[in-house]
Amino acid sequence: MDSEFKGKVALVTGGSRGIGRAISRKFASLGADVVIDFFRNRPAAEQTAKEIEALGVRVHIVRANIGDPEKVKLLFDEVKKTFGKLDILVSNAASGVARTAMELDAQGWDWTMNINARALLFCAQEAAKLMEGRGGKIVSISSLGSQLAMGKYVAVGVSKAALEALTRYLAIELAPKNICVNAVAASAVETEALKLYTPEQKKALLWQSTPAGRIVIPEDVAGIVAFLCSDAAFMIRGQTLIVDGGVSIAPVFGLE
Amino acid sequence: MASAVEEKIKEIITGIVHCEGRALTPTTTWKDLKADSLDLVQVLVQLEETYGIEISDTDAEKLKSFGDLVAYIEGIVAAKAKAG
Repeated sequence: MDSEFKGKVALVTGGSRGIGRAISRKFASLGADVVIDFFRNRPAAEQTAKEIEALGVRVHIVRANIGDPEKVKLLFDEVKKTFGKLDILVSNAASGVARTAMELDAQGWDWTMNINARALLFCAQEAAKLMEGRGGKIVSISSLGSQLAMGKYVAVGVSKAALEALTRYLAIELAPKNICVNAVAASAVETEALKLYTPEQKKALLWQSTPAGRIVIPEDVAGIVAFLCSDAAFMIRGQTLIVDGGVSIAPVFGLE
Repeated sequence: MASAVEEKIKEIITGIVHCEGRALTPTTTWKDLKADSLDLVQVLVQLEETYGIEISDTDAEKLKSFGDLVAYIEGIVAAKAKAG
C-alpha cells in the first residue's frame, strides 16, 4: 500500500492524541505528508509532529477549534498555504458531554453536535475545494454509540448517528468529484479517554466481552482508515465500517 | 472595585456555567460552581478569543479559583500592553 500515499497530503483533525495520533502516524509511515489539527494540547501535537517527522515526511501542526466554522476556514487556509492541496481528510476530532438525556442542556447538545457532526460538514466543504480536479478521500470517525444506547452517551451517540448520515449524503454528492467518503465506527478504544475506568472495570467491560480477545487499539482503527483511503476501497461509498472485534454482534450471554 | 478584566471574566463564566445565584469571589472554585470539564473548556475558549491568547492545558490546570483566573489573565493583558 506504501507507494500510493507517497506525496499525498493528509489532514487529521484531532490528530495529536489517541486514535488521531495513530492515524497521523499511519499515513506518515505510508509516505504521506500530514497536517495535524489540535485544539487543547499543544505539547502533545508537537510531540506527535516530531515523531512523524522522523519518518521522513513533512508535517504541519495547526491549532483550530473545528466546532467553529470560521476556524475551520482558517485551518484549511493554512493547509492550502502550506501544501497547496489536500488528498485525504480524516475527520476525527471529537468532544462531548457525559450526561443522561434528562440532564442534557442546549449548550452541551450544541457543543457536542458542532464538534462531532457539524464539523464534518464544514471540513468536507473546504476539503472538496482543495481536492478540486483531482479527487480525494474523506473518512470520519464514528462510534458504536451511534447505534446503541449507552449510559450518559446520548449527546455523543446522537452526534455520531448524524455523522454517519452526513457521510452517506457527502458520499453521493461528492462522488462526481471523485471524492470517496466513508466512516469508521469503533467500540471502546484503548486511549487516554479510557483512563476514566479502573483496570478491573476495563477488563470486565471490554477484554472479556470482545470476541476477538482484546480491546481495539488506535492502530486497528488507523489501519482501516488507511484502507478506506486506498485505491482498493474505491467502490466503498458512504459506508460506516465497524471495528470492534465483534462486540456489537456478540450475544450477551455467550454461545455455550 | 472590580477591574475591567474581572468584570469580563465574570460575564464569560456566568454566560457558560450555571452559577445558580452563587456569587463569584476570588476564592470561588470551579468545584463550588459545579462546573464540569466542558464548561471549563468553553470558558477557556472564550477567554482565548476575547484576549487573543492561547491558554495551555498546563496553565489551565493551575487555575483553580476565580481569583487565580483573574490574576492570570490580568498578568497576560499587562504583559501584552507592555510589549505594545
